[in-house]
Amino acid sequence: MTKKVLLKYSAEKTKEPILASIIKETGTLLNILHAEFSAEGGEILLAIDAPDAEVNRIIKLFEQRGIETKELKRAIQLDEEKCFDCGACISLCPTGALRLTDDYSVELDEDKCIYCEICVPSCPVRALKISKF
Amino acid sequence: MNKSIAEINDRIRRGDAVVVTAEEIVEIVRERGEVEAAKEVDIVTTGTFGAMCSSGAWLNFGHADPPIKMQRVWLNDVEAYSGVAAVDAYIGATQLSETRDFEYGGGHVIEDLVRGKEIKVKAIAYGTDCYPRKELETIVTKDDLNQAVLCNPRSAYQRYVAATNSRDETIYTYMGTLLPNYGNVTYSGSGALSPLHNDPNYETIGVGTRIFLGGAQGYIFWEGTQHAPTKAMGTIMTIGNLKEMDARYIRGATIEGYGTSLYVGLGIPIPIINERVAKTTGISDEEIRADLTDYGVPRRERPILKEVTYAELKSGRVEVGGKEVPVSPLSSLKQAREIAGILKKWIEDKKFFLAQTVEGLSTDQVFKPIKQIAAAPVAKDLMTREVVTARPSDSITSAAKIFAKRNFDHLPIVDEKGKLVGIVTSWNIAVAVGTGKRKLSEILTSKVIVASENEPIDAIARKLETHRISGVPVVGTGGELRGILTSEDLSKLIGRRRK
Repeated sequence: MTKKVLLKYSAEKTKEPILASIIKETGTLLNILHAEFSAEGGEILLAIDAPDAEVNRIIKLFEQRGIETKELKRAIQLDEEKCFDCGACISLCPTGALRLTDDYSVELDEDKCIYCEICVPSCPVRALKISKF
Repeated sequence: MNKSIAEINDRIRRGDAVVVTAEEIVEIVRERGEVEAAKEVDIVTTGTFGAMCSSGAWLNFGHADPPIKMQRVWLNDVEAYSGVAAVDAYIGATQLSETRDFEYGGGHVIEDLVRGKEIKVKAIAYGTDCYPRKELETIVTKDDLNQAVLCNPRSAYQRYVAATNSRDETIYTYMGTLLPNYGNVTYSGSGALSPLHNDPNYETIGVGTRIFLGGAQGYIFWEGTQHAPTKAMGTIMTIGNLKEMDARYIRGATIEGYGTSLYVGLGIPIPIINERVAKTTGISDEEIRADLTDYGVPRRERPILKEVTYAELKSGRVEVGGKEVPVSPLSSLKQAREIAGILKKWIEDKKFFLAQTVEGLSTDQVFKPIKQIAAAPVAKDLMTREVVTARPSDSITSAAKIFAKRNFDHLPIVDEKGKLVGIVTSWNIAVAVGTGKRKLSEILTSKVIVASENEPIDAIARKLETHRISGVPVVGTGGELRGILTSEDLSKLIGRRRK
């Protein structure tokens, strides 16, 4: 299963090509789901599709380079009994994790979800739920 | 070529009526033309499943012993209108629960009734000789009610506008959540499947038309409120037995930051009585247009940015201001298609017959705005024009003196051309003195919430409330300071209104 890891960069660390060097070193593709930077530093949300041991090794590599890491243990659920495919959530989703299929069904791809939670209150029948654990 | 309703009903009875959906007819008319289509097809079925706020249900509770003339009545803490006879009430879709706010409202009560759930009833009364009781609390399901009739003043808009938002903040509207800077687009309506768009001349749709309503058979009994057929914004009043309905097609809903509503499933069979009707049912998503409207402007006449087609909207992306943005349908296209399919099947299974209309619907009615006897005040009517201002380079000490001398809380900071560059409050000054800052440029807030001169006071009051601020500078189109408006000015206005 894809794991999601949040990287927190301090201001001085933003100047180093840390992500690139780790991708090069491990040969594992690290997918950036979301990134936000300002003068004070920033955050990158990564999706890592690799065996657990490899994910742990990657996390360690980031920490050795002075990046704070946090594995996101959350889950989003679409209650298909409640959902009637109105699509109110679709245009609010920043990553395309929620989309309409060709037959106009709402489909959720959790791997793409960054848990921004914008969709949750937009659902008129409360069919979207995020759990944190 | 002309066909009567009676002839088509005979075909249904014989099992040889040709029924297609409003999506299927598009190809048939495109390929073979309306003349052939009218010969081949007897009925076109339509469907929509959208939020219809102007919905509600009439309920009759029966009499209690001793009897009560319900003066006010609540269903699961949602008030129903009871200003009619003793135990009749109308539960409206957008009425909010008094205990659960936006999470539960009249729409949810209606869905719960359809689902057969127990509903808590509370009523109060003033008591009369014939109705002595003053209070009643009980629990009912739909089976305990004498009548439960869905009765919607306005259903099934022929089409509707598409919405987007020019403001730099997210807004919450009845058209859903609209992201800042034209970040998304929402729309409602099923396009080519739209019931009224398949017979926009009202040749077959009228008073008495039998329809699919909430999973049961219901009727059109009048033109809907705000019916505007000349603008392709026709509407209908609909009625049907709530007890027979299916909760798959009657759903209570919460629209974020707006309130509650009811999603209603509705489908109309269009009998192909002649070639003209065959032609109008052939309308495609490419031919149905909607005005892309800026809901960032809180006025009755909202700016229209451009025209878009339902084909573009259904594609999921629309171009606004040079960028492609994602689109949300709001109404369920999947269930609209499903409803058209069910109606088709009902007819093929001889469970649904066409009703002859007893009266047509207006084809030239217009939708007027409310008659206002006083114009709503705007910023320039109320603002203080003589504003004391300061420059960014001014010292904090000089500003502190201004605050001390005059009794106000907001000091707008302007550049040499009079353009607003920031604001300083008395609180900012207090903090600045405490932290040893010297110039206003060090402490001013540059992201200022402002109002324009013609902005309605009601919109400004809402701004003050949502941003938790007590005043706004009023600026011209070039950002030049024209005045200031504070919550104090607003309270004076309300004082004047009350007098």
